[in-house]
Amino acid sequence: MMESILVQIPFGDMVHYLSGYTVLLFAVAALFVVLAIVSLPEKPVDIVFGTDGYTLKEIPKDTMKFQRFMAIACGVATVGAIISGDLFNFTLFAALIGILNIGIVAGVKNRHVLDSAFSYGLVVMMGTVPLFAGAAIAVAATGTLSIWELAGLGAVPLISKLLILLGVLGEGMAPFYIGKAEITRAPGAPYILMIHVSSLLLFLRVVEILLTV
Amino acid sequence: MTFMLNLAFIPLLIAAVIFGLLLHGLHRKVIARIQKRPGPPVWQEILHTLKFAFKQTWIPKTASQTVYVAVICLSLAIWIGALFTVWTGGSLLIIFACYMLHKIVEHGTGLSSGSPYTKFGAIRSVMSAAAELPLLVTVVVVYLFTGTLSLSGITAWEAVNGPLFLIAIPAAVSLFLIILSKAHYGPFSVIEAKELVSGYWTEHFGGWRAVLNIANALKTVVLLSVFVMLFFGALPWWLFLIVMIILMVVISFVCATTPMLTPYQTVTIQTIWTAVVCIYAVIVWVVMGL
Repeated sequence: MMESILVQIPFGDMVHYLSGYTVLLFAVAALFVVLAIVSLPEKPVDIVFGTDGYTLKEIPKDTMKFQRFMAIACGVATVGAIISGDLFNFTLFAALIGILNIGIVAGVKNRHVLDSAFSYGLVVMMGTVPLFAGAAIAVAATGTLSIWELAGLGAVPLISKLLILLGVLGEGMAPFYIGKAEITRAPGAPYILMIHVSSLLLFLRVVEILLTV
Repeated sequence: MTFMLNLAFIPLLIAAVIFGLLLHGLHRKVIARIQKRPGPPVWQEILHTLKFAFKQTWIPKTASQTVYVAVICLSLAIWIGALFTVWTGGSLLIIFACYMLHKIVEHGTGLSSGSPYTKFGAIRSVMSAAAELPLLVTVVVVYLFTGTLSLSGITAWEAVNGPLFLIAIPAAVSLFLIILSKAHYGPFSVIEAKELVSGYWTEHFGGWRAVLNIANALKTVVLLSVFVMLFFGALPWWLFLIVMIILMVVISFVCATTPMLTPYQTVTIQTIWTAVVCIYAVIVWVVMGL
């Protein structure tokens, strides 16, 4: 049964989807992957309240290593989402980006930051429902997930497009994260920056997909 | 042929940087005159940039050094790319992407230095993400009317059907608000508010600031050029420049006569306008679909 379903669903083009637009996004994503590999994190300055004093926050090495791994993986997943020519692959990469973003935040051993990571986790997990539902409706309505085949046809129902957009807004959680004060407790560049980079690039890619299909 | 095209772009790039810096100088001059101050000369921003370029430059000890430098290079790269796209009549979607990528520059510039002032500037930049959605709606509305996202295609459509400004005023207002939100001293310029010293770029000084100034000058030229092309069509070059200068003066007037809003007010207004313009886009979509 499963085999026959897999045979029936054409998965479309797996990797090759490069236009001027996606090449630009790919270049930026690749740049930030390299930055995550080669950069050391900043040392946030904390001002001591009521005095002229300040302290420098040093990032523990194990935290740095974990966040670096998550940030690199997140960058690679973003590259995948950008160059994928298949709607299902795109949704998979989007979900992966959401999970890795939680990882970047959760790497910081601070109760407030971890509380926030839990909240973002809920948003990201909820985001996967409309994301995959949108892709499922698209394949049910058109019989294919290939963006190449869907391009210019206008065959994907509006509800499917809206669900995918909603899902991406859930997975690309930068605005939710920034909305909380916890970002100021965690070191920023380059790992926290990856949350923003991946969210933004994911949004830019989904805009292109929705206008194309 | 392509090589010659690329070669011809270099003088245009230099001219765009000088013109952009002059527009910023004009912006300061107009604001000063409205506030009954003499203000700096119009070429002050060129002098500023030259001054920064030759000042002593280093990287703060607290910074993530690679990111600190890389975001500046990225800033310059994306706006040179955007200018090239405008020049070749390329895709509006690429301009949209460049504008959005500028958010990463603001965020990265702010987060990389380790300073709390720049970090708050960066956070405010992402908080005002609602400002980008009206730009997307503008792109969609322009596509609904013209059926193309190519800038050359859009201007060709306007040559036949008349300027979009006459039939898509809400979209024009949206793009105007986008440009306004990126103007210095504007009501929505919370990312570089004075309570944060200079906001996200406080810790970028000397040569780094000079490059950021150049990138911002290019950004202003690109955004104003796109506005003119989208809503007035292809104009003779001298009229094109005059319309850009008029737009800059209007922006300066708004900046001079409105207070800087709080981050909360900024996000609220941007969100409300996003909702309004989304409804407008749906109406256009329904009407154009009939």
